[in-house]
Amino acid sequence: MARITNSIRRLRFDHGEMTQEELARRAGCTRQTVIALEAGKYTPSLALAFRIARSFDCQVEDVFTFSVNSGKE
Amino acid sequence: MNAEQKRAWLGVATMGACVLGYFVLLPLFGPVVATAAFAFYGINGFAGVIGRHEEVDERDRSIARRATLAGAVASYLAFVIGCMGTWFVVFAFQHKEQVWVHALGTITILGAVVFFFIRSVVILLLYGRHVEASDG
Repeated sequence: MARITNSIRRLRFDHGEMTQEELARRAGCTRQTVIALEAGKYTPSLALAFRIARSFDCQVEDVFTFSVNSGKE
Repeated sequence: MNAEQKRAWLGVATMGACVLGYFVLLPLFGPVVATAAFAFYGINGFAGVIGRHEEVDERDRSIARRATLAGAVASYLAFVIGCMGTWFVVFAFQHKEQVWVHALGTITILGAVVFFFIRSVVILLLYGRHVEASDG
């Protein structure tokens, strides 16, 4: 089963303790969506993933990690 | 809580008021008059004025789309089961092969109420669960 995790919370603090509101404004989404992303309750579209990465001045791979579980665990 | 959740809570609350009203009126006036309690569901029409100018994003749209689909499926099921169920009751217990045509209006309203209620419930559930983007 495929799983996408993210390091948005860490990146926010690495960028001068950027608030969720500020990230939401930069990425063009709502604060509630940022909260859901950090809690792992939302898998964003490719467009939003790129906008979030751009907000942190980094690549998508630096923010999101794609992993595939074999399902035998 | 965003506007979509507030609208969903209004939908669930009005349905609660309808069911409560129905069971209050049932012993007093009987089953036909008691259905008038479902007029409370009209209050749900005010959902349109809640958060009209509030910003929505792809997650809100994704959840709304899934909830609308779930509501449509449930509504269709309620309508078909309502039609066939009515016919079954009339045929099995009254031994008639034709259904009273006025039942169709009630069954149609049942389908509409089921659509809005299930949509509201699914919205409230999905805001607490993992969702994947369905657009973009």
